[in-house]
Amino acid sequence: MNQRVAPYLFVLPNMLIFGVFIIYPALNNFNISLYDSTNGRTFRYVGGANYQELVDNADFWSAARATVVFVVCFVVLVTVASIGLAVLLDQRIRGRGVFRAIFFLPVLLSPVVVGLVWGWIFDRNNGLANTVLRGIGLGQPGWLVDGTLATVVVIFVGVWTHVGFYTMIMLAGLQGIDPTYHEAAMIDGASRWQRFRSVTLPLLRPTTMVVVILSMITGFQAFDFIWTLTGGGPVGATTLIVQYIYMHAFQSPIRYGLASAGSVILFCTIFGLTAINFLYNRRRSAA
Amino acid sequence: MRVPTPTVAAAALAAAMLAACSPGTGSDTGTAQQANDKKITYVYFTDGPDEQATRNLISGFEKETGIQVDLQIVPFDNLEQTLQARLSGNNAPDVARLSDIDPFRDDLLDLNKYQKSALDGVFVDGAKSYTTGKNGELLAVPSDLTMNGPLINVDQFKKANVPLPDEQKPWTWTEMVAAAKKVQQVNKTQYAIAMDVSGHRFATMLSEFGTDYFTADGKVGLDQTKALAAIKEFADLNNSGAMPKDVWLQAGSKYKGANDVFLAGQVPVYISGNWQVSAFAKDAKFTWAAAPNACQERCGGYPGGKFMVSFKQSKHQALAAQFIAWMNSAKSQTQMCQQAAFLPTRKDLISSGITYPSRSTDMNVFLSEIQKTPADTFANNYSPAFSDTANAARDELAKVLAGKDTPEQAVTVIRAAAQKALEGVK
Repeated sequence: MNQRVAPYLFVLPNMLIFGVFIIYPALNNFNISLYDSTNGRTFRYVGGANYQELVDNADFWSAARATVVFVVCFVVLVTVASIGLAVLLDQRIRGRGVFRAIFFLPVLLSPVVVGLVWGWIFDRNNGLANTVLRGIGLGQPGWLVDGTLATVVVIFVGVWTHVGFYTMIMLAGLQGIDPTYHEAAMIDGASRWQRFRSVTLPLLRPTTMVVVILSMITGFQAFDFIWTLTGGGPVGATTLIVQYIYMHAFQSPIRYGLASAGSVILFCTIFGLTAINFLYNRRRSAA
Repeated sequence: MRVPTPTVAAAALAAAMLAACSPGTGSDTGTAQQANDKKITYVYFTDGPDEQATRNLISGFEKETGIQVDLQIVPFDNLEQTLQARLSGNNAPDVARLSDIDPFRDDLLDLNKYQKSALDGVFVDGAKSYTTGKNGELLAVPSDLTMNGPLINVDQFKKANVPLPDEQKPWTWTEMVAAAKKVQQVNKTQYAIAMDVSGHRFATMLSEFGTDYFTADGKVGLDQTKALAAIKEFADLNNSGAMPKDVWLQAGSKYKGANDVFLAGQVPVYISGNWQVSAFAKDAKFTWAAAPNACQERCGGYPGGKFMVSFKQSKHQALAAQFIAWMNSAKSQTQMCQQAAFLPTRKDLISSGITYPSRSTDMNVFLSEIQKTPADTFANNYSPAFSDTANAARDELAKVLAGKDTPEQAVTVIRAAAQKALEGVK
């Protein structure tokens, strides 16, 4: 077979599936955002009315604000925690493999289960957290009924669930650093902190960029564990943009066009932030 | 970064192709070509004990008529989405059980075309305007009726020496709250009264305080003074700890029942409805009973229910209509009600009553509440704008409990939501 054609033939089945189930629906989503439909069969062209409705909708802005708070906190915490854990797990300590497995375990859990379990733990009256706090005389905070506390809980659970995955990426990055850099720094008399700050962190920058981009995308897409943990409550405090889209797409009254417009905005936001991040880091690396 | 010209061209072409075509195929509401086989599909969601009762009835229907019924059970949360997808694929089921027919109104079969004598004018009058199409078609059959009302923990009432409510002389809201608080105090339960997180359940309270989301003639209702009194009472009960405020705040945008609080013995009065009877008969570890609704300005509960429909896309329209008529005959509805602890929708059965094999007293409490329930509540519940308004009321009540809105603001917001919902269905 012609060697120029053969590679394309090998990837063709995958590209077909990818095209039909990912690319086409994604492109069609832009199209649907210009229509109004309550049943997925009859579509009325409305131009930019769905976007205008989103801009005028207080609930959309509330979800957008909650999303920004969640994503910023999630990305910062997950990046810092994964670097810290990776450095710890990179040490020659006893049971290192077991620790790595333990930190990775939450990644394997179903997000629905994660939401339900943490929901029970943080229940104000009968939850484990408040039973312990009550036992030591610290009262019964309404973890899931106070807007600020619920946001903190959602961020904490998000970080707990995903930090294991990013730790593994950071660990791979750490292990890719040539040990001679550290040896040279030690010979020059650098302390442990100086070696970490001036050798490890700069050399870990490409990996950190990957973690920041991936965790940012994950943060923007957060939905399933939040839905089972708080349902977006109390009073919309933890309703993020994906839940807002979900509610308009799949809960009565169905508004496919409005939900699609929300997805387009989400796509553009993630795409834009990823591009900025990518270009900024590329320039820094080049400099 | 320089983007190659062919890439730009390909992207522009793809965008142009997509923009040029409408994503829908248009609604095919014409009559489907009819098939000759004797097999129909029935898409169903279950509330629990009704599934076996439905299967029993289907067996009887299959034996009697020789028509096979393929019962397809889907989760309630996915029902609308599933049916819309099937309608899009021209693969609608022959029969479906729905709680809200509005999203499908243009797709529903006129059952009068096949079963007018068996179905027309037979069912509860309150549902008539909802189930009737623009040109007088019978689009749906109310297959079971629900009635909201309180369930009480009899053991806790007895321990507190508080008399049980009398059906002949129903308690007022004030008396019910006082009784519940006394029982709570003696039994040291967490709460006195619990209510499901639902705008439909709150409508019971609104009705008892003398108002409703809509007037009987379909305009925005919600009398300012009466609605304010109901919302203030609701907020006071929650803020004082008599009601579990956490249940309303913690539910977010999801429905949440308070049945687990009642079953755990942590609340002596639980405002829910007759659909709990079967489950409580099985799960409750204490003596409980259905109680008459509290009367404030008005008595009675609040209706709800499910419907059986067929679709214009059905390839077995006559058989589907025959099946719906058979399932809702007096004999079948009686059997269904007895086995699943449902309330009938047929006028003849509501008048004559039904003898339930178990928990008959409780079921008859709910049955007698139907007679006391004001007619406008039926018009409200069967209004196409009800669902959106009730959901808005649920969200707004949570805002009041979180201290984000005042009860006065809540009345305004719910009225606006009712107006918007009404405009949406016009």
